[in-house]
Amino acid sequence: MIRIGDEAWQVMRAHAEAVYPNECCGAMLGRNDGDTKHVTAALPLDNVHAGPRMTRYELRPEDLLRADKVARGRGLDLIGIFHSHPDHDAYFSETDLKNSCPWYSFVVVSVKAGRFDHAKSFLPNMEQTEAPEEALELLS
Amino acid sequence: MPKVMIPTPLRQYTDKKDSVEVAGVTVGEILGALTSAYPELKKNLYNDEGKLRSFVNVYVNDEDIRYLGKDKAQVAATDTVTIVPSIAGGR
Repeated sequence: MIRIGDEAWQVMRAHAEAVYPNECCGAMLGRNDGDTKHVTAALPLDNVHAGPRMTRYELRPEDLLRADKVARGRGLDLIGIFHSHPDHDAYFSETDLKNSCPWYSFVVVSVKAGRFDHAKSFLPNMEQTEAPEEALELLS
Repeated sequence: MPKVMIPTPLRQYTDKKDSVEVAGVTVGEILGALTSAYPELKKNLYNDEGKLRSFVNVYVNDEDIRYLGKDKAQVAATDTVTIVPSIAGGR
């Protein structure tokens, strides 16, 4: 399961609401103790998708490289990616699946009318053909 | 020898090491040596056709190998090779 601490969650929620009606994205940092991923910090990153950002997001690889360095600098690990679905539920779409990476948890934040509604986490497989839901706990 | 930085989720396949030093003067040689030393890494980095998976980006220092000659990108002994995923999506 993945457990998101209050400080990290407030950053994720604020970022998702701030960029509404566009999709936000970012990195989740923390520790994996084997059974549970503990997210203790979140880094908002730019959505650099060239087209409409209300329905798509894209991370700059250089930003992920930087997030990885920030994590290492803090003695943490890059353990997940988050993005938002403005005015839609938190599901893992076909577009999400085809552009995912199986190494990380993917948290989707549903924002409706500009306010957080609900969130879910997913674990895409290696072949990008399915992404089962992962138990998510928000400590806020 | 060049150092390869291992993304967190893949360290389970490198005896928990966050970086590994491997011999080689090109990216292809280095990734080949890396996956020979740690075979479990191979399926994470390469598909069944032996090509880097679509979500795998490789950097030499801060430069993407797509702009350096891909597998043939030159790597000096003091360089750092970093594996970074490509991620996007949308509803």
